[in-house]
Amino acid sequence: MTGRDDGTFLNVARLHAGYRAGRVLHGVDLGVAEGEICAILGPNGAGKTTLLRALCGMIRTEGVLRLAGADLPRRRPEAVARLGVAHVPEGRGTFAPLTVEENLRLGAYTRRGRTRIAADIDRVYGYFPVLKERRAQAAGSLSGGEQQMVAIGRALMSRPRLILLDEPSLGLAPLVTRELFHIVKTVNEEERTTVILVEQNAHLTLEFAHRAHVLETGRIVLSGSAQEIRDDEQTARAYLGIGVG
Amino acid sequence: MSSTPLSLKSSPASGGLARHWRWAALALLTAAACAAPFQLAPFRVFQLTMVLVYAMALLGLNLLVGHAGQISLGHGCFFALGSYAAAIMMDRWDVPYLLTLPAAMAVTFVLGFALGVPTLRLRGLYLALVTMTIAIFLVPLLKRFGSLTGGSMGLTLAHPEPPAWTGLARDQWLYLLALAIAAACGLVAWSLLRSRVGRALHALRDNESAAEVMGVRLARYKTLAFAWSAMFAGAAGAVNTWVIAFVSPDSFTVNLSIMLLAGIVVGGLGSTAGPLLGGAFVMFVPTFSQGLNEAAPNVVFGVLIIAVMYLAPTGLAGLAGRAGRFAAHIQRKK
Amino acid sequence: MAGFVQQVIEGLGTGAIYAGLALALVLIYRFTGIVNFAQGELAMFSTFIAWQFVHAGVPFWAALALTLAISFAGGMLIERVLIRPVEGAPELTLVIVTLGLFLLVNAAAGWIWSFLIKDFPSPFPGGALRAGGVALGYSTLGVLGVVAAVMGLLYLLFRYTRIGLAMRAVASNPESARLSGIGVSRMLALGWGLAALVGAVSGVLVAPVLFLEPNMMGGVLIYAFAAATLGGFDSPVGAVAGGLIVGVAETLAGAYVHAIGSDLKVGVPLAVIIIVLLFRPQGLFGHAAVERA
Repeated sequence: MTGRDDGTFLNVARLHAGYRAGRVLHGVDLGVAEGEICAILGPNGAGKTTLLRALCGMIRTEGVLRLAGADLPRRRPEAVARLGVAHVPEGRGTFAPLTVEENLRLGAYTRRGRTRIAADIDRVYGYFPVLKERRAQAAGSLSGGEQQMVAIGRALMSRPRLILLDEPSLGLAPLVTRELFHIVKTVNEEERTTVILVEQNAHLTLEFAHRAHVLETGRIVLSGSAQEIRDDEQTARAYLGIGVG
Repeated sequence: MSSTPLSLKSSPASGGLARHWRWAALALLTAAACAAPFQLAPFRVFQLTMVLVYAMALLGLNLLVGHAGQISLGHGCFFALGSYAAAIMMDRWDVPYLLTLPAAMAVTFVLGFALGVPTLRLRGLYLALVTMTIAIFLVPLLKRFGSLTGGSMGLTLAHPEPPAWTGLARDQWLYLLALAIAAACGLVAWSLLRSRVGRALHALRDNESAAEVMGVRLARYKTLAFAWSAMFAGAAGAVNTWVIAFVSPDSFTVNLSIMLLAGIVVGGLGSTAGPLLGGAFVMFVPTFSQGLNEAAPNVVFGVLIIAVMYLAPTGLAGLAGRAGRFAAHIQRKK
Repeated sequence: MAGFVQQVIEGLGTGAIYAGLALALVLIYRFTGIVNFAQGELAMFSTFIAWQFVHAGVPFWAALALTLAISFAGGMLIERVLIRPVEGAPELTLVIVTLGLFLLVNAAAGWIWSFLIKDFPSPFPGGALRAGGVALGYSTLGVLGVVAAVMGLLYLLFRYTRIGLAMRAVASNPESARLSGIGVSRMLALGWGLAALVGAVSGVLVAPVLFLEPNMMGGVLIYAFAAATLGGFDSPVGAVAGGLIVGVAETLAGAYVHAIGSDLKVGVPLAVIIIVLLFRPQGLFGHAAVERA
């Protein structure tokens, strides 16, 4: 396992959250170490997206939410963003009529310093060369995979300490997804950025993650290293619905 | 969109009141309404007549905005058309005034239908925009066709006289006439809303696409909602002409339309009592606040409709309903 | 021919004024999805403030600067106090609230300054450039220049500044903007402030032509609606182009179509609105959202 083991970077305890229509999370406990890729797996409706929305302050929560020892602001996503948490929402959150480069620039909204931002745009183009070709195009006119690249690139532009990725594989061809995951892994290794990856595609995710947690009906029912979870054939069958081998 | 701040659900507001209380209240109101012209000074009777006139117009607006959810800023146009239809028939063709009522209603029904067809494709804001523009366009249009409408000077008519056998004064006669017509209009609106039509309109308001799926013939009901709403305004306009015995373009500016919308909002969108309360509001707010300053009525209107949107989206009728339920609750506890 | 050119010039002059108010409408619509029925009245109120300053002896351009600052602050304040509580409410609620504001502001101006018409000084000199029987009035030129300048400044703001970029982001995807660390509600207030400022410019431009009185903007608002509808409610460029087109169309119709004359000219914006909404609802420059699934 990579990352520091001394003290957790993100600490979630007894987290309850939900919407007006009803509660979705019933006391989630979760620790994420700095520099790790942490996968949150589970079936549809388990509360994976809700967990991310709770982390970044988009919905009402009860319980402990601490990042690097400090409480996360509640119900103020823009304040959470300024603390270095970048959320790539389901559906990518593209600013469709804006150009690719403007989308990236918006990722750096919380930062100052023209030259460093320009350098970071180049860094993102380094990870995603295709975006450089499309820099002046309206982001909404890009393909799904390219839009997902824009979304991840936008997240990187904030120089985040923690990236939350919500179902990045949604609607993408398996090959494209694999390529994206490779890039996420590279970013994680080169910049030691912590990543929380919410996915339904357990098989592929477990190849890239360090640790994984299985969420079911609003509770964490299983945690372990990605290897352990992959090797445990029974859990794989029971929780993830994937054949192993 | 069920948890909208504007809770337009047809009111369980009065549902809390026991049935017999509602009948008792209705009987009392009827008695008071019938007795009023014999107890009050002619000027007050005139004012109450105008409340009924506005209430009739608001019945139509309530149907369109409150029940069908279509925003109209042009309701004053139909009021104006009804008024002018009656006035022109009386002035130019010496039609007996009572006959001008059905004629005005027929004219406005047809024109409402005609307006309903092109506006079918417009939603929400755009509908508001188009209807408001039409309301503004109406005044120069009325002035232009002076040979028919009397131009800017308008038409001055003879007041209809009560039949001799009644022994009533003119104001009393007109009041009772307005009361009877308003009651009839109220009954028509009430039975419309209790029929399939009412359900179709609500479906339209709450969710157009769902309504379509449910097989509500959207186009037909939307157009009809316009036509009915115009017809009620037309009836109100005709009675308005009898009572005032004068029509001129400047009585029907866009302000009238805005005031009518304000009236139904404050009275209570989608409620049964809303039009009557709204009518009283439209009539009396200017009367009371005019003494302060000529601009005061609209300041009061402006503040009140904003306040109602924030504080009591169900309007006065909703508040009354709440008060009623509260009273019933207290009584049960005793 | 010279007569025709002259009419077109006059049309561009009035059209520029419509364009100004249409621009204000579009700014608010883009950010909040609200068609602000009170926009014209806010502009009228701003113009009265300018009149008050001029009346008190403040030089015209200083009075204008003060008025714009006050309008900007006032627009933000209105967003905070009146609009915020109904943010995201159904259209009917929004329409009614802005109509309430319409009545309130109109009547308040009448209360404070009375309904008597007032002379408002023109910032531009009289006289005109003349060539070949056509006169281009300095005031027309001035109006066109001011509207072009406002347009240019807004373009620079939206295209090249951080705040402008953030405002466009909010208009396009508020939730995502929030996740990027943008204070969305502050941007919405800013949008209202900017709209009030742009509206104030149009009010100050129209007042010398129409005389200043509380009902001055009622007619202009309809033309601005037509301009915004024609250009596309989400397009600032469209608002300006729409304003100019409507202005020219109105002047030409008034001059050459005798059935219309000067009194029924207000039928022109009505026709424009209805035709555009029926046949090209997104307007000339509006976008049907550029998106691919």
